Amino acid sequence: MFNKDSKFEKFKDAETIIGASIKVKGNFNGQGDIVVEGMLEGSLKTAANVFVGEKAKVSANIEASEALINGEINGNIKVKKYLAIGETAKINGDVQCGEISIERGASITGQIIVSAEDSKKGDSKKEKIELEA
Amino acid sequence: MNAYIYDDFLNKSRYRRAINRVEIRLTDLGLNGKIIRLGAIKNIKDVIQAEMKNGIKNIIAVGNNETVNKVVSSMIANKTYGFFQKDVLFSIIPIGGNNSIAHSFGIKKEEDACNILLARRVQKIDVAYAGNNIFLNKAELFSNDAVVEIDDDYHLELNRKANIKIININDDNYLAFKNKIDSNDNNLNLIVSGRNQDNTFITSKHIKINGTGELILDETISVPMPTEIGIIEQKINVIVGKDRSFN
Repeated sequence: MFNKDSKFEKFKDAETIIGASIKVKGNFNGQGDIVVEGMLEGSLKTAANVFVGEKAKVSANIEASEALINGEINGNIKVKKYLAIGETAKINGDVQCGEISIERGASITGQIIVSAEDSKKGDSKKEKIELEA
Repeated sequence: MNAYIYDDFLNKSRYRRAINRVEIRLTDLGLNGKIIRLGAIKNIKDVIQAEMKNGIKNIIAVGNNETVNKVVSSMIANKTYGFFQKDVLFSIIPIGGNNSIAHSFGIKKEEDACNILLARRVQKIDVAYAGNNIFLNKAELFSNDAVVEIDDDYHLELNRKANIKIININDDNYLAFKNKIDSNDNNLNLIVSGRNQDNTFITSKHIKINGTGELILDETISVPMPTEIGIIEQKINVIVGKDRSFN
């Protein structure tokens, strides 16, 4: 479902792509879109968007404008705008975002805060959900 | 106004015919200039510096990738280069094998090079360094235990079978991500190609490579590891063909 999402089509032109055979350790800071298909340990921060692939394993806190998560995340996710969680996603950590969509089958262990304050001024909406699928 | 730097291997008789063809074509086009033979001089830097002070406008390396490396290293190492940078153009007349840099400039044969010099299509490009050497196209990493540190922020642990290239300007029309590579953005591009289109693309200003093995610069120069790779402050203006493999 999310793979066809037009919001994420531009990932094809991502500034940084970490392939499946690569292991990255350290603090990854970027300005452009980042695709993670391999392993990442440390922190991941970008002013743009993050795509985490189905086979990716990320042990890091993630900060981005928008994100599409299909892989395994051990860490907190903070997304300013739209966060899409795919059916193969497995998240162990807290999630904070402006808007969210969660596909059936996704696993999230942690607190989810959906706050429209960041994405839409004056239209604040807060939800706290704890899920264990 | 033109200085043609002939590499010393061109003294061999097998290159005589190609040299003659080039010289006749250059004369026909009114592009003849001073010929400097590397075999006869000891300090190429001093010679090029003197030519730049005398107002030379075009410096043309005649030979292969190694010739290009010698000439560009000498150009940018000059104290005067910063002052003359805007005015001095560089190009290549490829003769012999191992001419991937000329090919990336869109210069396939020596006769094409003369026409390209006449057309004067100019592009500004970055010059990269690895250790004490410069390179224009790429550095290829050959190592089983390399750890690649990017901008002092993070490092990559690489699969042994991966094909690792650090690219300044692209010389491969079939390269994955070739459209992402900018020849004038002050950045290097690390590409790791694995099986089944498992590719990695990272843009960086500074890369440290630790471990054992070697880097091969522009298919010519071997640099031992560990080493550091980056972009030097000076850029060069090059005369390129329309079929160049970079933007």
